[in-house]
Amino acid sequence: MTLAAMELIDVKRSIGNKEIIKGLSFSIYKGEVFGFIGPNGAGKTTTIRMMVGLMKLTDGDIHILGNSIKTNYKKAVREVGAIVENPEMYPFMSGWQNLMHYARMIPGVTKDRINEVINLVGLEKPIHDKVGKYSLGMRQRLGIAQALLHKPSVLILDEPTNGLDPAGIREIRQYIRKLAKEEDVAIIISSHLLSEIEQMCDRIGVIKNGELISIQDVGEQASVDNLTKIQVEVTPLEKAKNLLKEHYDIETIVMDNGLSFQGEKEKIPAIIKTFVENDCSIYQVSVTKGTLEDQFFELIGENTIE
Amino acid sequence: MSRMLKLIYNEQLKIYIRKSTWAMYIILGVIIIGLAVMTNSFGELGEQYQGDDWQEVLQQENKELQKEGEEDEFVGSLNASIIEENNYYLDNNIQPTPYGAWQFLRENMLLLSVVSLLTIIIAAGIVANEFRWGTIKLLLIRPISRSGILLSKYISVLLFALFTSIFVFLFSFIIGAVFFGVEGMNPSIVSNEASGYTTISLIPTIFSEYGYSMVNLVMMTTFAFMISTVFRNSALAIGTAIFLMMAGNSIVGFFQDKEWAKYILFANTDLSQYADGRTPWIEGMTLGFSITMLIIYYVVFILLSWLFFTKRDVAGQ
Ligand SMILES: Nc1ncnc2c1ncn2[C@@H]1O[C@H](COP(=O)(O)OP(=O)(O)OP(=O)(O)O)[C@@H](O)[C@H]1O
Ligand SMILES: [Mg+2]
Repeated sequence: MTLAAMELIDVKRSIGNKEIIKGLSFSIYKGEVFGFIGPNGAGKTTTIRMMVGLMKLTDGDIHILGNSIKTNYKKAVREVGAIVENPEMYPFMSGWQNLMHYARMIPGVTKDRINEVINLVGLEKPIHDKVGKYSLGMRQRLGIAQALLHKPSVLILDEPTNGLDPAGIREIRQYIRKLAKEEDVAIIISSHLLSEIEQMCDRIGVIKNGELISIQDVGEQASVDNLTKIQVEVTPLEKAKNLLKEHYDIETIVMDNGLSFQGEKEKIPAIIKTFVENDCSIYQVSVTKGTLEDQFFELIGENTIE
Repeated sequence: MSRMLKLIYNEQLKIYIRKSTWAMYIILGVIIIGLAVMTNSFGELGEQYQGDDWQEVLQQENKELQKEGEEDEFVGSLNASIIEENNYYLDNNIQPTPYGAWQFLRENMLLLSVVSLLTIIIAAGIVANEFRWGTIKLLLIRPISRSGILLSKYISVLLFALFTSIFVFLFSFIIGAVFFGVEGMNPSIVSNEASGYTTISLIPTIFSEYGYSMVNLVMMTTFAFMISTVFRNSALAIGTAIFLMMAGNSIVGFFQDKEWAKYILFANTDLSQYADGRTPWIEGMTLGFSITMLIIYYVVFILLSWLFFTKRDVAGQ
């Protein structure tokens, strides 16, 4: 197994006596786009603040290319580029001056490199305008440019799609995929909107109330069988419902004129047979594949902020 | 080292790129020109003593002052000191120096309190503003220690104080020269010192007076910087620092008879109280004591700034 670009080891964080992050452990690898999903207040931003050294860990450790953020801060953070929450820049300076400002803080960032990232995020035209005049989307792009200046191994983007129009989101999606593939960067993207980042991620980690409740490969989700949603138009409803409960231990939801439940596709013929044998009339059977979005809501349940 | 220079460059850039900073310099410039115009119109420029008959002019003046003084007791006491000064010129056969750029410069030392005010505003904002703008996050996630960032900011504030003082110094001299001419390369003037009227050399006096007032400038700047880092609030830092700067002397005066009054910062910031022939504010104070107190205050300010800046989390506002 290759060295993880970033590894979280049982990361905990309390504020006062409230535990906000309750032991996160996961790794992100080079060339991978990792989606960090959770409802408001789940602890995404807090985790990201700890990843970049803005907040201290109460317990656990974070390694970036093997360097601990606690004991080897400078080396660890050299490999990180990030935007944390809103992409705030100096409003009285131009985009170019802002980038120069950050470039001076890290050795080896050339003017060519600055122009390169400006091209990448498509800010050539307004780069010499004052940032105070930028739209949110333009600032978001400048934020990403700033994070890429020093060719980091790990790119952390906290809600980068916030404030972008659909075209902007598609563009970001494209260059994030490109960065991961061509430059082998490990990318962490947080969002509370799964649909926005689903398509650009290789893996999705779901966080709720400071706990990681699931990590899933995006490619694999199609074969997750229990997510196949089966709807059967059948009468009498009550009888059919009880049959499913008795024979297959499946809970069903009674709909207008049918039953809806989740189950494996392979079981459908057997279920139909059971219905027929017990004198139930079947009018229609339909199967819909659950999207990741359904899965997400299933995982996080009601969106209650503790 | 070159990294630190780049950090300082960044901080200087963020100070001087803003229009509000330039407004400060323009205000200072306008004040200096205004003072020159006022001195030119209403001031005592000493032109009447520049002829060969300066001794007669002085004697004539003394006679008039004497006569005026006999009519009114209060005017008399005022005039007595002018007569005394005039007599000093006559007795020692010194022709009064005309008013010029050096004397204008000396009087403008008062403007250093305006420089203090402006530096306090810069010091108060240099850390707190990064928090207010939200840019602190992007500033701190670089491979540079927080101590390094803080140091670059502190040095930048001191540089601002230095540049602004130099501006006041040079601009006053230039404006003084334009309005009044220069008295010479090493002018001396007659001044009423503790030991009576004496001749003093002007340039060394100017430098030592400007030097003494730097102590207060540095201490108040460091104080504002400390409040700015600890509370992350520039308005609070400006408010407290300016209040203390204005009220400092009154505070000492108010507690003067208390045992601990000499431990108050402002009892120690004016080191010129130990200059030749002067008595310190509070009995028993010495130069060594004051310097020790200043160092203690300074170290406490710096230490608090450093502790709060390096140890505290940067979480949401
Ligand atoms: N300084 C603080 N003091 C106390 N509690 C805090 C502090 N900062 C964050 N929290 C709490 O930590 C939890 C996680 O907050 P965080 O900002 O990490 O959420 P998030 O997942 O980024 O949410 P969002 O989607 O809204 O950005 C919240 O419950 C919040 O109330
Ligand atoms: Mg957040």
